[in-house]
Amino acid sequence: MAEVTVRNVKKRYGNVQVMHGVSVDIEDGQFVVLVGPSGCGKSTLLRMIAGLEPISDGEISIGGRVVNNVMPKDRDIAMVFQSYALYPHKTVGENMGFALKIKGTPRAEIDAKVAKAAAILDLGHLLDRYPKQLSGGQRQRVAMGRAIVRDPAVFLFDEPLSNLDAKLRVAMRVEIKELHQRLKTTIVYVTHDQIEAMTMADKIVVMRDGRVEQIGAPLDLYDNPSNTFVAGFIGSPSMNFIKGKLSTIDGRTVVRADGGALLPIEGVQAEEGRPVVYGIRPEHIDIGPGGLAARVSVLEPTGSETQIFARLGDDPIDAVVKDRFDARPGDEISLLIPPRRAHLFDGASGARI
Amino acid sequence: MRSNKVGWWLLAPTLAILGIFGILPFIYVLYLAFHQWNPFGANPEQVFNGANNFRRLVFDKEFLLAIWVTLKFGVFAVASEIVIGYFLAQLFMREFPGKGFFRTIHTLPLIVAPIVVGSIWRLMTTPSVGIIPFYANELFGIDINIGRDAGTAFLFTVIMDIWHWTPLVTLTLLAALLSLPKDPFEQAQIDGASRSQIFWHITLPMIRPAILATVFIRLMDALRTVDEVWMLTGGGPGAATRYLGLHIWKVVFPKTDYGYGAAISVIVLYLTLVMCWMLYVGLVAPRNKGN
Ligand SMILES: Nc1ncnc2c1ncn2[C@@H]1O[C@H](COP(=O)(O)OP(=O)(O)O)[C@@H](O)[C@H]1O
Ligand SMILES: [Mg+2]
Repeated sequence: MAEVTVRNVKKRYGNVQVMHGVSVDIEDGQFVVLVGPSGCGKSTLLRMIAGLEPISDGEISIGGRVVNNVMPKDRDIAMVFQSYALYPHKTVGENMGFALKIKGTPRAEIDAKVAKAAAILDLGHLLDRYPKQLSGGQRQRVAMGRAIVRDPAVFLFDEPLSNLDAKLRVAMRVEIKELHQRLKTTIVYVTHDQIEAMTMADKIVVMRDGRVEQIGAPLDLYDNPSNTFVAGFIGSPSMNFIKGKLSTIDGRTVVRADGGALLPIEGVQAEEGRPVVYGIRPEHIDIGPGGLAARVSVLEPTGSETQIFARLGDDPIDAVVKDRFDARPGDEISLLIPPRRAHLFDGASGARI
Repeated sequence: MRSNKVGWWLLAPTLAILGIFGILPFIYVLYLAFHQWNPFGANPEQVFNGANNFRRLVFDKEFLLAIWVTLKFGVFAVASEIVIGYFLAQLFMREFPGKGFFRTIHTLPLIVAPIVVGSIWRLMTTPSVGIIPFYANELFGIDINIGRDAGTAFLFTVIMDIWHWTPLVTLTLLAALLSLPKDPFEQAQIDGASRSQIFWHITLPMIRPAILATVFIRLMDALRTVDEVWMLTGGGPGAATRYLGLHIWKVVFPKTDYGYGAAISVIVLYLTLVMCWMLYVGLVAPRNKGN
């Protein structure tokens, strides 16, 4: 068990800088998820923590010890790769026991630890198989088992579920979370899937283009995104963004959308004419009398809920309502937008106001 | 169906050539191996004599010696080529200045005809005037004479083979190394393996099929070397480097004892098959489950 500290870390490949001073504090036993779009540098950061990539600048410490110049094998970490990286010529049991064998652990002890990890992951009957004889889900479990057997100070996961089908992914998500609750080992988990991040993390680090956009608890990010990027990235379906300008009407501050609509907000002093981005999550919009008039373009019923794509003035907006909703494209509907649910961002920088 | 027929027609020339130049001669050699046939002997007819040719072989001291030196040659040459080839392949996995140039130079021996390779090495090792004996004597005071010293002659046939064929090994092993996935190696680093542990536990098992294929090819080739060695040592001194092919050619053909020669060829083929089979059973089969 250990805490991990990433202090102003930079990464350059030749002349190309892909990481611009990233700092993250990970407490002992925390489940931290690095999330962001593809190419934002999540894997690179994880690999620097693992010691597979040299650190161009800054400092990474694990358990209070600076590890910049420590070999991967001496960092007391275990990693699960997206490709699983199983040894193709070793059986499941040999794969799981390899690290211990290298350490010179007695045969009996290796067998006991492998058996224990296999029992946790329900791999007992597969120990004599070779990786190519396993399904994708089973390989994924073997990769996890191999990490568990190590009993490391920190687990590093690089998109471990992205090669699984949707159903299995959900099941494994739960399983990994349970595993963390049982082992209480620090986990750094990389994913591009915000749902994975939201459901699993104690703390989420949102990254973009080699920078940290925001760090916080899942619901914290959901409620108080610090800019439009985080606001749009966290939550599904994505937050609606409507460009407009602040103005005052009848003594109340509203956003006058460029598309024409007047959007109510709360708790902001009007700086007349300031360009802003108005954000509202689809699930916070309701349909009912007395709201803003919008025109339906497309309906997507999923059974439990209905997603409504509509036009508010000239701006597209989408809303999600529980239950069925009956309307035809072109119909006029009335959108209820609670002002306290609205987010306001600066029109130029995208930062939260 | 039609396209299938067209396919066979397109294959036909290849199959015909294979049949005429490969399979027919082989069957003919097999046939001759069981006959007494000396066209210039007392009885020029082909007379069936059962396994007599093979029985003769067992008591033929020169033949047994030839087998022994051939095996020695094959084992030393191929083993060295694999080891050196592996290191060169690892070297070419890295970036270094002049890599492209060095790699090209290094592959050149492959395109040189064996007879030319033999001539080159003959020139280089000619006692007292060749560049190697000359400088060995000049710089270290060592007397190298492949015409007189059996061990030296043997050594130089091995070195020549290494010089000629290591590039082939390098290229196949390089291809194998380049095709390996990168993740298991990073995983092994994280698992705590040192460089040598990674080599023995990960790299070697993963390129084992390529190594074995290369060993098969090289061994079969080495066991039937003729022209290079003939140019370099002529099989001498004495019979020290008279490998099987050379033995057939130097001892059997001049006596036009073709039935006997055919029997030797069959035995050489058999030996090669047995060696490859043993390698396969020993190294590939037990691991096959995983690959
Ligand atoms: N070996 C490399 N050489 C050059 N650029 C690289 C290398 N590896 C990654 N990058 C660049 O670094 C950035 C971050 O990559 P990566 O960490 O893999 O992203 P992510 O895992 O978030 O999808 C990308 O822009 C990628 O092109
Ligand atoms: Mg990645």
